[in-house]
Amino acid sequence: MVDAGAVRLHVQRTGPRDGRPATATVVLVHGLLTDSLASYYFTVAPAFAAAGLDVVMYDLRGHGRSERPASGYTLDHNIDDLEALLDRLRVSGPVHLVGNSYGGTIAFGYAVRHPERAASVCLIESEPATESWAVKLGGILHRVVTQLAHNEPDALAWITAHRGHNTARLARGAARLARETTLGRDIPASRVLTEDHIRAVRCPVLGVYGGDSDLAELAPWLESLVPDCRTVVVPGHEHSVLVEASGTVGGAILTLIDRASGARAGAAAR
Amino acid sequence: MSPHTPVTADEESVLTDITGMLATLLEDEYGLDDVEIGMATTFNRDLELESIDLVALAGLLEERYGGRVNFAEFLAGMDFDEIIELTVGRLVEYVVTSLKAAEAS
Repeated sequence: MVDAGAVRLHVQRTGPRDGRPATATVVLVHGLLTDSLASYYFTVAPAFAAAGLDVVMYDLRGHGRSERPASGYTLDHNIDDLEALLDRLRVSGPVHLVGNSYGGTIAFGYAVRHPERAASVCLIESEPATESWAVKLGGILHRVVTQLAHNEPDALAWITAHRGHNTARLARGAARLARETTLGRDIPASRVLTEDHIRAVRCPVLGVYGGDSDLAELAPWLESLVPDCRTVVVPGHEHSVLVEASGTVGGAILTLIDRASGARAGAAAR
Repeated sequence: MSPHTPVTADEESVLTDITGMLATLLEDEYGLDDVEIGMATTFNRDLELESIDLVALAGLLEERYGGRVNFAEFLAGMDFDEIIELTVGRLVEYVVTSLKAAEAS
Protein backbone atom coordinates (compact mmCIF):
# COMPACT_ATOMS: atom_id res chain seq x y z
CA MET A 1 0.00 0.00 0.00
CA VAL A 2 1.27 3.46 -0.87
CA ASP A 3 0.08 6.64 0.82
CA ALA A 4 -0.89 8.88 -2.11
CA GLY A 5 -1.76 11.86 0.08
CA ALA A 6 -5.56 11.78 0.04
CA VAL A 7 -5.89 7.98 -0.10
CA ARG A 8 -3.92 4.78 0.39
CA LEU A 9 -3.51 2.93 -2.89
CA HIS A 10 -2.67 -0.70 -3.53
CA VAL A 11 0.37 -0.82 -5.82
CA GLN A 12 2.16 -3.69 -7.55
CA ARG A 13 5.47 -3.09 -9.25
CA THR A 14 7.49 -5.47 -11.36
CA GLY A 15 10.47 -5.19 -13.67
CA PRO A 16 13.30 -7.02 -15.39
CA ARG A 17 14.12 -10.16 -13.40
CA ASP A 18 17.65 -10.59 -14.69
CA GLY A 19 19.06 -7.61 -12.79
CA ARG A 20 19.25 -5.28 -15.80
CA PRO A 21 18.22 -1.70 -15.03
CA ALA A 22 14.79 -0.86 -16.44
CA THR A 23 14.79 1.15 -19.68
CA ALA A 24 11.67 3.19 -18.83
CA THR A 25 8.60 3.19 -16.57
CA VAL A 26 5.17 2.16 -17.81
CA VAL A 27 2.12 2.92 -15.64
CA LEU A 28 -0.97 0.77 -16.14
CA VAL A 29 -4.36 2.25 -15.20
CA HIS A 30 -7.45 0.02 -15.00
CA GLY A 31 -11.14 0.71 -15.66
CA LEU A 32 -14.28 1.44 -13.64
CA LEU A 33 -16.42 -0.55 -11.21
CA THR A 34 -15.57 -4.20 -11.92
CA ASP A 35 -11.91 -3.69 -12.83
CA SER A 36 -8.65 -3.80 -10.85
CA LEU A 37 -4.92 -3.98 -11.48
CA ALA A 38 -5.36 -7.76 -11.85
CA SER A 39 -6.44 -7.12 -15.48
CA TYR A 40 -2.82 -6.16 -16.18
CA TYR A 41 -1.01 -8.28 -13.60
CA PHE A 42 -2.04 -11.56 -15.20
CA THR A 43 -2.00 -10.38 -18.85
CA VAL A 44 0.54 -7.90 -20.25
CA ALA A 45 2.63 -7.06 -17.14
CA PRO A 46 4.92 -10.16 -17.26
CA ALA A 47 5.78 -9.46 -20.93
CA PHE A 48 6.43 -5.76 -20.21
CA ALA A 49 8.79 -6.68 -17.35
CA ALA A 50 10.56 -9.23 -19.58
CA ALA A 51 10.97 -6.47 -22.20
CA GLY A 52 13.01 -4.49 -19.66
CA LEU A 53 10.39 -2.06 -18.38
CA ASP A 54 9.69 -0.90 -14.83
CA VAL A 55 5.97 -1.74 -14.56
CA VAL A 56 3.75 0.17 -12.09
CA MET A 57 0.17 -1.03 -11.55
CA TYR A 58 -2.25 0.34 -8.97
CA ASP A 59 -5.88 0.00 -7.92
CA LEU A 60 -7.91 3.20 -8.36
CA ARG A 61 -9.50 4.63 -5.21
CA GLY A 62 -12.56 2.57 -4.28
CA HIS A 63 -11.38 -0.37 -6.42
CA GLY A 64 -9.48 -3.60 -5.79
CA ARG A 65 -7.48 -3.41 -2.56
CA SER A 66 -7.18 0.39 -2.44
CA GLU A 67 -8.91 2.51 0.16
CA ARG A 68 -12.55 3.39 -0.53
CA PRO A 69 -13.38 6.94 0.58
CA ALA A 70 -17.10 7.78 0.46
CA SER A 71 -16.56 10.69 -1.92
CA GLY A 72 -14.05 12.22 -4.32
CA TYR A 73 -14.54 10.28 -7.55
CA THR A 74 -14.27 12.90 -10.29
CA LEU A 75 -11.72 12.45 -13.06
CA ASP A 76 -9.57 15.19 -11.49
CA HIS A 77 -9.46 13.23 -8.21
CA ASN A 78 -8.17 10.21 -10.15
CA ILE A 79 -5.54 12.32 -11.94
CA ASP A 80 -4.50 13.85 -8.58
CA ASP A 81 -4.09 10.32 -7.17
CA LEU A 82 -1.90 9.25 -10.11
CA GLU A 83 0.21 12.38 -9.75
CA ALA A 84 0.65 11.83 -5.98
CA LEU A 85 1.40 8.15 -6.48
CA LEU A 86 4.21 8.77 -9.01
CA ASP A 87 5.66 11.47 -6.75
CA ARG A 88 5.56 9.09 -3.80
CA LEU A 89 7.24 6.34 -5.86
CA ARG A 90 9.86 8.95 -6.93
CA VAL A 91 9.14 8.38 -10.59
CA SER A 92 10.09 11.81 -11.86
CA GLY A 93 10.97 11.28 -15.53
CA PRO A 94 8.46 10.92 -18.36
CA VAL A 95 6.39 7.71 -18.15
CA HIS A 96 4.54 5.62 -20.69
CA LEU A 97 0.87 5.61 -19.71
CA VAL A 98 -1.52 2.78 -20.54
CA GLY A 99 -5.19 2.97 -19.66
CA ASN A 100 -8.03 0.51 -20.13
CA SER A 101 -11.49 2.05 -20.58
CA TYR A 102 -11.87 4.77 -17.89
CA GLY A 103 -8.19 4.21 -17.03
CA GLY A 104 -7.32 5.58 -20.49
CA THR A 105 -9.40 8.67 -19.79
CA ILE A 106 -7.32 9.18 -16.62
CA ALA A 107 -4.04 8.54 -18.50
CA PHE A 108 -4.96 11.03 -21.23
CA GLY A 109 -6.01 13.59 -18.63
CA TYR A 110 -2.64 13.18 -16.92
CA ALA A 111 -0.84 13.77 -20.26
CA VAL A 112 -2.88 16.96 -20.81
CA ARG A 113 -2.04 18.20 -17.32
CA HIS A 114 1.66 17.20 -17.47
CA PRO A 115 2.83 17.08 -21.10
CA GLU A 116 6.45 16.95 -19.93
CA ARG A 117 5.81 13.81 -17.83
CA ALA A 118 4.10 11.73 -20.54
CA ALA A 119 6.37 9.79 -22.92
CA SER A 120 3.43 8.08 -24.65
CA VAL A 121 -0.22 7.25 -24.02
CA CYS A 122 -2.08 4.09 -24.97
CA LEU A 123 -5.88 4.19 -24.81
CA ILE A 124 -7.42 0.70 -24.75
CA GLU A 125 -11.15 0.82 -25.47
CA SER A 126 -11.05 4.35 -24.19
CA GLU A 127 -11.36 8.02 -25.07
CA PRO A 128 -10.38 11.44 -23.72
CA ALA A 129 -12.91 13.10 -21.40
CA THR A 130 -15.17 15.12 -23.70
CA GLU A 131 -18.67 16.50 -23.21
CA SER A 132 -20.16 13.47 -25.00
CA TRP A 133 -18.02 11.07 -22.93
CA ALA A 134 -19.47 12.60 -19.74
CA VAL A 135 -23.03 12.21 -21.05
CA LYS A 136 -22.41 8.58 -22.04
CA LEU A 137 -20.79 7.70 -18.69
CA GLY A 138 -23.66 9.48 -16.91
CA GLY A 139 -26.13 7.18 -18.70
CA ILE A 140 -24.19 4.02 -17.88
CA LEU A 141 -23.69 4.97 -14.23
CA HIS A 142 -27.34 5.98 -13.87
CA ARG A 143 -28.33 2.49 -15.00
CA VAL A 144 -25.84 0.90 -12.59
CA VAL A 145 -27.22 2.92 -9.68
CA THR A 146 -30.96 2.60 -10.45
CA GLN A 147 -31.14 -0.91 -11.92
CA LEU A 148 -28.33 -2.64 -10.06
CA ALA A 149 -27.42 -0.93 -6.81
CA HIS A 150 -31.00 -0.20 -5.74
CA ASN A 151 -32.60 -3.35 -7.07
CA GLU A 152 -29.80 -5.78 -6.47
CA PRO A 153 -31.49 -9.19 -5.92
CA ASP A 154 -33.57 -8.98 -9.12
CA ALA A 155 -30.72 -7.58 -11.16
CA LEU A 156 -28.31 -10.25 -9.94
CA ALA A 157 -30.79 -13.05 -10.65
CA TRP A 158 -31.15 -11.79 -14.22
CA ILE A 159 -27.39 -11.42 -14.69
CA THR A 160 -26.72 -14.91 -13.27
CA ALA A 161 -29.28 -16.43 -15.65
CA HIS A 162 -28.15 -14.54 -18.76
CA ARG A 163 -24.47 -13.80 -18.22
CA GLY A 164 -23.34 -16.43 -15.71
CA HIS A 165 -22.12 -16.68 -12.16
CA ASN A 166 -18.84 -14.87 -12.67
CA THR A 167 -20.38 -11.74 -14.20
CA ALA A 168 -22.98 -11.67 -11.42
CA ARG A 169 -20.23 -11.69 -8.81
CA LEU A 170 -18.50 -8.79 -10.55
CA ALA A 171 -21.83 -6.95 -10.70
CA ARG A 172 -22.29 -7.42 -6.96
CA GLY A 173 -18.96 -5.66 -6.39
CA ALA A 174 -19.95 -2.85 -8.74
CA ALA A 175 -23.30 -2.39 -6.97
CA ARG A 176 -21.53 -2.11 -3.62
CA LEU A 177 -19.12 0.53 -4.95
CA ALA A 178 -21.99 2.54 -6.47
CA ARG A 179 -24.00 2.37 -3.22
CA GLU A 180 -21.15 3.16 -0.82
CA THR A 181 -19.65 6.10 -2.70
CA THR A 182 -20.52 9.19 -4.74
CA LEU A 183 -18.79 7.71 -7.83
CA GLY A 184 -22.04 7.51 -9.83
CA ARG A 185 -22.64 11.24 -9.41
CA ASP A 186 -19.03 12.40 -9.50
CA ILE A 187 -17.76 10.95 -12.75
CA PRO A 188 -20.40 12.51 -15.04
CA ALA A 189 -19.81 15.84 -13.24
CA SER A 190 -16.07 15.75 -14.07
CA ARG A 191 -14.36 18.69 -15.74
CA VAL A 192 -13.95 17.75 -19.42
CA LEU A 193 -11.42 18.63 -22.13
CA THR A 194 -11.81 20.89 -25.15
CA GLU A 195 -10.61 19.79 -28.60
CA ASP A 196 -7.71 22.24 -28.14
CA HIS A 197 -6.61 20.39 -25.01
CA ILE A 198 -6.71 17.11 -26.93
CA ARG A 199 -4.75 18.55 -29.88
CA ALA A 200 -2.09 19.80 -27.45
CA VAL A 201 -1.00 16.24 -26.52
CA ARG A 202 2.21 15.94 -28.57
CA CYS A 203 3.57 12.57 -27.38
CA PRO A 204 2.85 9.43 -29.42
CA VAL A 205 -0.67 8.13 -28.74
CA LEU A 206 -2.03 4.68 -29.59
CA GLY A 207 -5.72 3.77 -29.57
CA VAL A 208 -6.61 0.06 -29.33
CA TYR A 209 -10.21 -0.99 -29.92
CA GLY A 210 -12.18 -4.22 -30.24
CA GLY A 211 -13.62 -4.54 -33.76
CA ASP A 212 -17.06 -5.39 -32.35
CA SER A 213 -17.06 -2.57 -29.78
CA ASP A 214 -19.10 0.63 -30.18
CA LEU A 215 -15.94 2.55 -29.31
CA ALA A 216 -14.12 1.39 -32.48
CA GLU A 217 -15.86 4.21 -34.37
CA LEU A 218 -13.80 6.67 -32.30
CA ALA A 219 -10.57 5.57 -34.01
CA PRO A 220 -10.77 7.97 -37.03
CA TRP A 221 -11.83 10.88 -34.79
CA LEU A 222 -8.92 10.32 -32.42
CA GLU A 223 -6.43 10.06 -35.31
CA SER A 224 -7.74 13.28 -36.86
CA LEU A 225 -7.42 15.24 -33.62
CA VAL A 226 -4.26 14.00 -31.87
CA PRO A 227 -1.10 15.09 -33.74
CA ASP A 228 0.84 11.81 -33.35
CA CYS A 229 -1.82 9.11 -33.14
CA ARG A 230 -2.16 5.61 -34.52
CA THR A 231 -4.99 3.19 -33.88
CA VAL A 232 -5.32 -0.59 -33.96
CA VAL A 233 -8.69 -2.33 -34.25
CA VAL A 234 -8.62 -5.99 -33.12
CA PRO A 235 -11.29 -7.95 -34.99
CA GLY A 236 -13.59 -10.34 -33.15
CA HIS A 237 -13.36 -8.60 -29.78
CA GLU A 238 -15.47 -6.16 -27.78
CA HIS A 239 -14.74 -4.06 -24.69
CA SER A 240 -12.64 -6.78 -22.98
CA VAL A 241 -9.98 -6.81 -25.70
CA LEU A 242 -7.15 -6.27 -23.16
CA VAL A 243 -7.91 -9.46 -21.27
CA GLU A 244 -9.10 -11.55 -24.24
CA ALA A 245 -6.38 -10.60 -26.76
CA SER A 246 -3.59 -9.63 -24.38
CA GLY A 247 -0.81 -10.89 -26.68
CA THR A 248 -1.91 -8.62 -29.53
CA VAL A 249 -2.61 -5.64 -27.27
CA GLY A 250 0.66 -6.03 -25.34
CA GLY A 251 2.65 -6.29 -28.58
CA ALA A 252 1.08 -3.09 -29.95
CA ILE A 253 1.92 -1.26 -26.70
CA LEU A 254 5.56 -2.42 -26.76
CA THR A 255 5.84 -1.16 -30.36
CA LEU A 256 4.43 2.21 -29.25
CA ILE A 257 6.90 2.42 -26.33
CA ASP A 258 9.84 1.55 -28.63
CA ARG A 259 8.75 4.19 -31.12
CA ALA A 260 8.26 6.82 -28.40
CA SER A 261 11.63 6.01 -26.78
CA GLY A 262 13.33 6.28 -30.19
CA ALA A 263 11.66 9.64 -30.82
CA ARG A 264 12.78 10.97 -27.43
CA ALA A 265 16.36 9.77 -27.93
CA GLY A 266 16.38 11.43 -31.36
CA ALA A 267 15.04 14.68 -29.94
CA ALA A 268 17.65 14.63 -27.17
CA ALA A 269 20.46 14.09 -29.72
CA ARG A 270 19.31 17.11 -31.70
CA MET B 1 4.38 -20.56 7.48
CA SER B 2 7.90 -19.29 7.85
CA PRO B 3 10.13 -18.50 4.89
CA HIS B 4 12.79 -20.50 6.81
CA THR B 5 10.84 -23.76 6.49
CA PRO B 6 12.79 -25.73 3.90
CA VAL B 7 10.99 -26.07 0.59
CA THR B 8 10.46 -29.59 -0.70
CA ALA B 9 9.42 -30.11 -4.27
CA ASP B 10 6.82 -32.80 -3.72
CA GLU B 11 3.11 -32.61 -4.29
CA GLU B 12 2.08 -33.17 -0.71
CA SER B 13 4.19 -30.45 0.87
CA VAL B 14 3.40 -27.94 -1.88
CA LEU B 15 -0.32 -28.64 -1.41
CA THR B 16 0.14 -28.03 2.33
CA ASP B 17 1.92 -24.71 1.59
CA ILE B 18 -0.75 -23.51 -0.85
CA THR B 19 -3.65 -24.61 1.37
CA GLY B 20 -2.08 -22.53 4.15
CA MET B 21 -1.77 -19.48 1.89
CA LEU B 22 -5.38 -19.79 0.73
CA ALA B 23 -6.62 -20.20 4.32
CA THR B 24 -4.80 -16.99 5.28
CA LEU B 25 -6.25 -15.16 2.30
CA LEU B 26 -9.83 -16.36 2.87
CA GLU B 27 -9.67 -15.44 6.53
CA ASP B 28 -8.08 -12.00 5.98
CA GLU B 29 -10.34 -10.94 3.12
CA TYR B 30 -13.62 -12.73 3.78
CA GLY B 31 -13.45 -13.80 7.43
CA LEU B 32 -13.78 -17.47 6.45
CA ASP B 33 -11.93 -20.04 8.54
CA ASP B 34 -13.56 -23.38 7.69
CA VAL B 35 -13.10 -23.79 3.94
CA GLU B 36 -12.00 -27.24 2.79
CA ILE B 37 -9.33 -27.13 0.13
CA GLY B 38 -8.04 -30.04 -1.95
CA MET B 39 -6.46 -30.71 -5.33
CA ALA B 40 -9.82 -30.51 -7.16
CA THR B 41 -10.90 -27.21 -5.56
CA THR B 42 -11.39 -24.41 -8.14
CA PHE B 43 -10.29 -20.87 -7.31
CA ASN B 44 -13.24 -19.26 -9.03
CA ARG B 45 -16.33 -21.36 -8.41
CA ASP B 46 -15.42 -23.15 -5.16
CA LEU B 47 -13.39 -20.50 -3.36
CA GLU B 48 -15.15 -17.51 -4.98
CA LEU B 49 -11.80 -15.75 -5.29
CA GLU B 50 -11.66 -12.61 -7.40
CA SER B 51 -8.74 -11.87 -9.67
CA ILE B 52 -7.41 -9.30 -7.19
CA ASP B 53 -7.24 -12.12 -4.58
CA LEU B 54 -5.04 -14.04 -7.01
CA VAL B 55 -2.66 -11.05 -7.04
CA ALA B 56 -2.39 -11.46 -3.25
CA LEU B 57 -1.78 -15.19 -3.73
CA ALA B 58 0.99 -14.36 -6.23
CA GLY B 59 2.65 -12.30 -3.47
CA LEU B 60 2.41 -15.17 -0.96
CA LEU B 61 3.85 -17.62 -3.52
CA GLU B 62 6.76 -15.27 -4.16
CA GLU B 63 7.41 -14.86 -0.43
CA ARG B 64 7.57 -18.63 -0.07
CA TYR B 65 9.37 -19.72 -3.24
CA GLY B 66 11.15 -16.56 -4.42
CA GLY B 67 11.80 -16.10 -8.13
CA ARG B 68 11.56 -19.85 -8.79
CA VAL B 69 7.77 -19.64 -9.16
CA ASN B 70 6.14 -16.92 -11.28
CA PHE B 71 2.37 -17.15 -10.86
CA ALA B 72 1.68 -14.08 -13.06
CA GLU B 73 3.55 -15.64 -15.98
CA PHE B 74 1.75 -18.96 -15.40
CA LEU B 75 -1.67 -17.29 -15.65
CA ALA B 76 -0.61 -14.97 -18.49
CA GLY B 77 -0.09 -18.09 -20.59
CA MET B 78 -3.73 -19.19 -20.13
CA ASP B 79 -6.92 -18.11 -21.82
CA PHE B 80 -9.86 -16.76 -19.85
CA ASP B 81 -11.79 -20.06 -19.64
CA GLU B 82 -8.72 -21.91 -18.38
CA ILE B 83 -8.33 -19.36 -15.58
CA ILE B 84 -12.00 -19.75 -14.62
CA GLU B 85 -11.52 -23.55 -14.42
CA LEU B 86 -8.14 -23.36 -12.63
CA THR B 87 -7.82 -25.86 -9.77
CA VAL B 88 -5.53 -25.92 -6.75
CA GLY B 89 -4.11 -29.18 -8.17
CA ARG B 90 -3.01 -27.51 -11.40
CA LEU B 91 -1.19 -24.80 -9.43
CA VAL B 92 0.44 -27.45 -7.20
CA GLU B 93 1.70 -29.28 -10.30
CA TYR B 94 3.05 -26.04 -11.75
CA VAL B 95 4.88 -25.17 -8.51
CA VAL B 96 6.38 -28.68 -8.22
CA THR B 97 7.56 -28.55 -11.86
CA SER B 98 9.05 -25.05 -11.39
CA LEU B 99 10.87 -26.04 -8.17
CA LYS B 100 12.29 -29.19 -9.79
CA ALA B 101 13.44 -27.17 -12.81
CA ALA B 102 15.17 -24.69 -10.47
CA GLU B 103 16.86 -27.56 -8.57
CA ALA B 104 18.12 -29.08 -11.82
CA SER B 105 19.59 -25.86 -13.16
